Amino acid sequence: MAKLARSPVLFSARARLIVAFVLAFGFASVQSLLMVPVLVAIGATALLASGMIGHNLARLRGALLLAAAFLLVLPLISGQTEIAGLGPVTLYLEGAQAGALIAGRLLAIVALILALLSPVSPFDLVAGMRALGVPALMADLAFLTLRYMEEISGELARGRLARLLRGGKTGWRALPDHADLLAGSLIRAQLRSEQLWAAMRLRGYSAGLNTPVAPLGPFDWACILGGSVLALAIFWLDRSI
Amino acid sequence: MHLPDGLMPVEMALAGYAGSGLLAAISLSRIKHLPDPSALVPRAAMLTTVFFAASLVAIPVPPTTVHLMLAGLLGVMLGWFAIPAILVGLFLQAVLFGHGGLTTLGLNGLILGPPALLAFWLWRAAGRRWPDVVAVCAGSGAVVVALFIFAALVLAGMPVALDARAEQTALWAFMLAHVPLVLAEGLIVLVVLRVLRRTAPQLLPHG
Repeated sequence: MAKLARSPVLFSARARLIVAFVLAFGFASVQSLLMVPVLVAIGATALLASGMIGHNLARLRGALLLAAAFLLVLPLISGQTEIAGLGPVTLYLEGAQAGALIAGRLLAIVALILALLSPVSPFDLVAGMRALGVPALMADLAFLTLRYMEEISGELARGRLARLLRGGKTGWRALPDHADLLAGSLIRAQLRSEQLWAAMRLRGYSAGLNTPVAPLGPFDWACILGGSVLALAIFWLDRSI
Repeated sequence: MHLPDGLMPVEMALAGYAGSGLLAAISLSRIKHLPDPSALVPRAAMLTTVFFAASLVAIPVPPTTVHLMLAGLLGVMLGWFAIPAILVGLFLQAVLFGHGGLTTLGLNGLILGPPALLAFWLWRAAGRRWPDVVAVCAGSGAVVVALFIFAALVLAGMPVALDARAEQTALWAFMLAHVPLVLAEGLIVLVVLRVLRRTAPQLLPHG
């Protein structure tokens, strides 16, 4: 798996996207709590094998917090069968089961998606989506958004810092300042887009940016087949338990 | 306000993809009928980038910090381009930051897309006559509509074993927790549209 994750040439972005979608939907179809450890084990293995554990764990933080919230809140608010009580607080079995199922599926899916897709550059992923049939206009939007994302984020961050250094307001009183900053960014974006359109026309842009599509290799097909078989096996096991 | 992976039944997630696909197809067909749609792509992309970057910033609205949704402003400024822009933003958020979800991308598109289009229609119908009132309605209204769609989807998709009353109470609490976001978005859209009307009216569907 580590080899797969580190070999974008062998395992193309398009094949990774197909495998990610197929397995994510396979995981999402699980309804039995007994399957949750299997899903979590697959997700954890994929994450370990991706070779980018630190990077992926940092991006998994949001999902971990959300999973913890489901695990903590659902047993308190939902269900009929009491499993424990402490003063006014009662834990319910049905809520605990639903919380564990949702949290398990969530963590396994996010871990798998990160493991499969994080070794690929975002531009390759968008090219992969285009090759899978996403309309040219949406692919172009994604390409250009990625291209200017860092620049515009930096510009917004510099604007916020400049306002703070000039003694700008903080808290909710700063909302109009944030709005001014946003308006300024939108106006600059409009000007930049005019220059960009001129440059795109000069380079011969007509219908869609140039995104070369390589055919899927035998390794890609093997991975797609393997992912599909795994998703079907999970579905079948879940329904037969 | 995203539905995460693993929360919704797979049938609903697939239906969400079908719904978002239909919405995207309608939008793309309307865009195709615009004069020189290719020329609008860089402008839409630039504005999408600004909205995407701005929505990642946490803004302090006591007692918490909020991430702006900006669906209303997106709708007013991008019109039909708002739908592909929202879907692109959701995809990038899911694969780059692990926010939202890949299986729930279609449903999340249905939560944010229709409010953006409603804001666009509202601005087009009454923005010239009552710009400030419409700006607040577009900003705050888009969040309220998105909250109701979100709640309806969660109620429809939660496991039957769960207590429906407790579920509804939790959802009401969730919606009340978003009141600061509703107010913040209304104010932000009001200020942004006021600035744009004065300094760059060409950015709006009608100045």
